[in-house]
Amino acid sequence: MNLEQIKRNTNPFHPYNIMVISLAIVLVGWCWHSTEMGVTKLLDGWGNMLTYLSGNPEIKDSGFFPPDLASGRLLTYLKSMLETVQMALLALVISILIAFPLSFFASKNTLSIIIPGTRGMSMLLKNVIYTSVRFVANLSRSINEIIWALLFVSAVGLGPMPGILALGIHTSGVLIKLFSEGIEAIQQEPIDALSATGAGFVKVIRYAVFPQITPFFVSMTLYRLESDVRSATILGFTGAGGIGVYLFDKLKSYENREVTTILIIIVITVAIIDRISAAIRAKYT
Amino acid sequence: MEQIRAEKLVLGYGSKEVVRNVNFTINKGEFLSIIGPSGVGKSTLLMGVNATTSILSGQLQVLGKDLNAIGHRELKVLRSRIGVIFQGFNLVSRLSVLDNIASGMLHRKPLFAALIKHYSKQQYEEIYEYMKVVGIEAEALSRCDRLSGGQKQRVAIARAIAQHPEIILADEPISSLDPVSARTVLDTLRNANEKYGMTIIANLHQIDYAREYCNRVIGMNAGRIVYDGSPADLCQATIDQIYCCSPKKQEEKRQYHYPFSPAAASAE
Repeated sequence: MNLEQIKRNTNPFHPYNIMVISLAIVLVGWCWHSTEMGVTKLLDGWGNMLTYLSGNPEIKDSGFFPPDLASGRLLTYLKSMLETVQMALLALVISILIAFPLSFFASKNTLSIIIPGTRGMSMLLKNVIYTSVRFVANLSRSINEIIWALLFVSAVGLGPMPGILALGIHTSGVLIKLFSEGIEAIQQEPIDALSATGAGFVKVIRYAVFPQITPFFVSMTLYRLESDVRSATILGFTGAGGIGVYLFDKLKSYENREVTTILIIIVITVAIIDRISAAIRAKYT
Repeated sequence: MEQIRAEKLVLGYGSKEVVRNVNFTINKGEFLSIIGPSGVGKSTLLMGVNATTSILSGQLQVLGKDLNAIGHRELKVLRSRIGVIFQGFNLVSRLSVLDNIASGMLHRKPLFAALIKHYSKQQYEEIYEYMKVVGIEAEALSRCDRLSGGQKQRVAIARAIAQHPEIILADEPISSLDPVSARTVLDTLRNANEKYGMTIIANLHQIDYAREYCNRVIGMNAGRIVYDGSPADLCQATIDQIYCCSPKKQEEKRQYHYPFSPAAASAE
């Protein structure tokens, strides 16, 4: 490689870079145009949003403020928020039980420990397992929790259980993807060293793979707990339990001050969970 | 007792031959070093012994097993009898020294005990003994990413010893270490060699160390063995033959132009 070639390949204004940036701009512009986004529309409608929040002056209590803090209902909401968190926790446990073992089959490096060899049959087997686990994960992930909840409500009826199952299935798909990408990014050298001692694949995974991914697993799992709590608040819309049942009910009946109460409870809960997970994460670095 | 026998052995990757047509036997208890310039096939030869690099032709027998006709299960057993020490240590950095050393004895542990990292009293005693052999017992519970390079390599040796291997393969064990740590690591290897009778095969770059520690030296150049004998007989002419006249280097000299080096200009 001569100096001219080196210069050409490291030029920030290389035609390739310019092409990538222009393509990105065109893509954003196209999306902006076809979805009829506009700054002026938001600026014009700004006042309506305030009116909606403060309520119609002709109708009593139609605004969102002040939040309704009547103690009886507050207790009901807090109880159902607790139920929502319990739903999210159970869903998380289900999804970890599914995703943790499967993610080792959805990562090329660990799959090569489980099925060694580079000959035809083992390569074929590896590809089949890898593709099918990834496919199932994609499927369960790309179908929204709400759809899963509708399906499970039709199977097991109203209540928290269909919500837990829906969240569990969806989250397993997400965690398989996150876990397996984390696994594929780990160092190969300790794996090689332990494989060279003649240890079996479960032991190699336990000693060489698992320690490397624990911080990542912990932080992804905690992030999903937070997401699950947020999703679980919406799942009630389908009748699948939790605080969402009340949220949907109050929104529908324009009891907006109660909606505010519920939203405040949700925000505080998510903030508490965030604090707790930060403390746990700090232990696993 | 003969442990390794190679006959007309050719090792390589895909169709590329790296080690060409070598013959040697290695006996139990030897402390052998392989020397030679970079890229001549030292690591390939070393890693051929535990069947990490593939045999293109010829015969290689290790601990009585013919590597051309070894099954997957047999290979696992064979590998458990051979310890490997790497240039980059290859420790699990988030595990403690204790767990890293214990990971060498995984093939002897029951599955469940390995899963929950439970060690028996006897295993604790054994691990502690190896810690003392390599002198790392003060750091027993430290995480390995907190250790210095020399300490890491000593943990790696302890892990290899914990495997109860008959052979230890050390792939450039001291090339990333400072001279003091290098000496400690080689002393530790010699200790393992003398105390447990383990055969040690090490790739080294420093001829002085090879002279001091080993009882046999194999010199390699361009995939062939050009010297095989005692380090005492290693004269300057042989060293020149191992290092200077490598065809690869000559080829490099032809390919590259050194416009700023008068020596290269006069050579042309």
